[in-house]
Amino acid sequence: MKTIDAPVEEGRRTAEQGEARLARARRVAALKRWGWRIAGYAFFLGIWDIASGTVMSDRVLVPPIAVVEEIGVIFRSGELWFHLSSTLTKIAIGFALTFVVGLIIGLLTPNRWWEAFFGDFVTATMATPGLVYALVSGIIFGFSPIGPIFAIVLASFSYVTVNVAEGMRALPKDLVDMSSAFRIAGWRRLRHVVIPHLAPYLFTGVRYGFSTAWKVTVLTEVFAANVGIGFSLRAQYQLFSMNGLLAWIMIFFILMLFLEKVVLQLIENRFFRWRQEGRLA
Amino acid sequence: MAVATATKPNFTVARLFGSTRTARFMFPIALLALWQVIFMVMQTDILPSPAETLNFMWDEIRLETLSRHTLYQSFAISLGRLAIGFSIALVAGIVVGLLMGLFKPVEDFLYDMVVVTLAIPSLIWGLMTGLLFGFGNLAPIVAVIGVAIPFVILNVLAGLKNSPKDLLDMSGSFTVPRSRTIRHVLIPSLMPFLFAALRYGFISGWHGLVLAEVFASSNGAGWTIRFWYDAHRAQGVLGYALFFILFALFIERGVFEPISRRVFRWRPSIRNLPVVEEAVPDPKKFKIALAQAEDEATRGDDPDR
Repeated sequence: MKTIDAPVEEGRRTAEQGEARLARARRVAALKRWGWRIAGYAFFLGIWDIASGTVMSDRVLVPPIAVVEEIGVIFRSGELWFHLSSTLTKIAIGFALTFVVGLIIGLLTPNRWWEAFFGDFVTATMATPGLVYALVSGIIFGFSPIGPIFAIVLASFSYVTVNVAEGMRALPKDLVDMSSAFRIAGWRRLRHVVIPHLAPYLFTGVRYGFSTAWKVTVLTEVFAANVGIGFSLRAQYQLFSMNGLLAWIMIFFILMLFLEKVVLQLIENRFFRWRQEGRLA
Repeated sequence: MAVATATKPNFTVARLFGSTRTARFMFPIALLALWQVIFMVMQTDILPSPAETLNFMWDEIRLETLSRHTLYQSFAISLGRLAIGFSIALVAGIVVGLLMGLFKPVEDFLYDMVVVTLAIPSLIWGLMTGLLFGFGNLAPIVAVIGVAIPFVILNVLAGLKNSPKDLLDMSGSFTVPRSRTIRHVLIPSLMPFLFAALRYGFISGWHGLVLAEVFASSNGAGWTIRFWYDAHRAQGVLGYALFFILFALFIERGVFEPISRRVFRWRPSIRNLPVVEEAVPDPKKFKIALAQAEDEATRGDDPDR
């Protein structure tokens, strides 16, 4: 018994030791990585802090702490919700419209004629600066909220369209053939074959489209609005208040990144719950 | 398409309208028609008619303008700034990207900062550089650098991460000289990423530039469209907007697509390459990159990786 047991235990011990060593190495590597990472944050915040007041006047290049203080002031003033709700409403309506328009044009593109019809337009709208949409909608619609909505649709529909078109091109032919062989057409085919296949492409399109949409909304508000985040930004700019400008944008920026990264990701995870883990990888 | 294939060859009208080339030209015509209809229905002074706008554009093309600079001068000024800013961003971005790809601590140090920079809207670059540097050439150029540099860095980094390890190993064991390895293995594998950096860095740099010109300059294409806006000349704004759209179309169809075809001639498919081309990095790709980084970290430190 002893003669058999001993080598097994020894082997187990070395395996455990090896694992422990590996775990230690992993911890050290993680520690190093986080060390460098934190050093990166500290370095850039430090440079910003030192540069304000030495390289440039601290009224122009405000120190980071002043921005944080200003964020607190904005939160307490209650002005935030007034402007925020206006901007968010425009984004919600505009992006819903974008989704519909982008989806329809994207679904048309498997047809070569429609692809050629919209092709140049989609390419051009993707490469045209947001400023152009902002000014055009500003001069046509003035201060009315239709302006930003119009600008959102023009600026971001192409991201949905391009991704939907890509998805339609990659539609699994065998499944389509099978559904026509079994006489499954129309809504049922759409619901059980096309939509599940398109969903990941749609989510990609929504993510890019959304990140364009909120940027162009703010931009439009800068030029033609009397309420909203963009309007507040312009007001701060005209007061030459750098800390106000940075504080307003920080608040909005963090909120939008939260919507983009966390909320959209949660919806996406929920949507793909039916998938098995192995197929995602 | 269905019409084109179903018709007899001698039925030329249907074939003419069914061809994709006609479809391409149908879009601007349809747009103009729609615009004309909206103009006639709405009966307002705000929306200019297509004729007025096209007239304005024609005047601009013939150098008759009320603005400070002609169309060509405005775009030349802007493109000059873009060229300076984008060259700086390209060189600096490649250097930083290579450093980050070759040395793990540098990557850990800078990665988050680069991602944050990538997510900053160009409006913020425009306003901030305007406040910091005042009117002139400096603010737009700095804005271009700020907008374009994260694209370059992240694409170079992704290219290095994606370099074919097996080919590098092979050239190592067959004692291929270093210069030839770089020329024949590393550069071709980096090429698609560099091209993506060039394309998306250029386009977003352009977007940042026109915004910076609006807030911190007194000339250039961005300033000129703002000039017409402030003058409440709707046909000027729409005309310039169409110039911008034509310019974008020219850049994409006339410059980047031919280059892309040339660069990727040797390669049958480039569609499934994971190239960083989005304004905000895809969280899934980010996770993959993170997993790779972790993998690298646990394997031990190898500075010459």
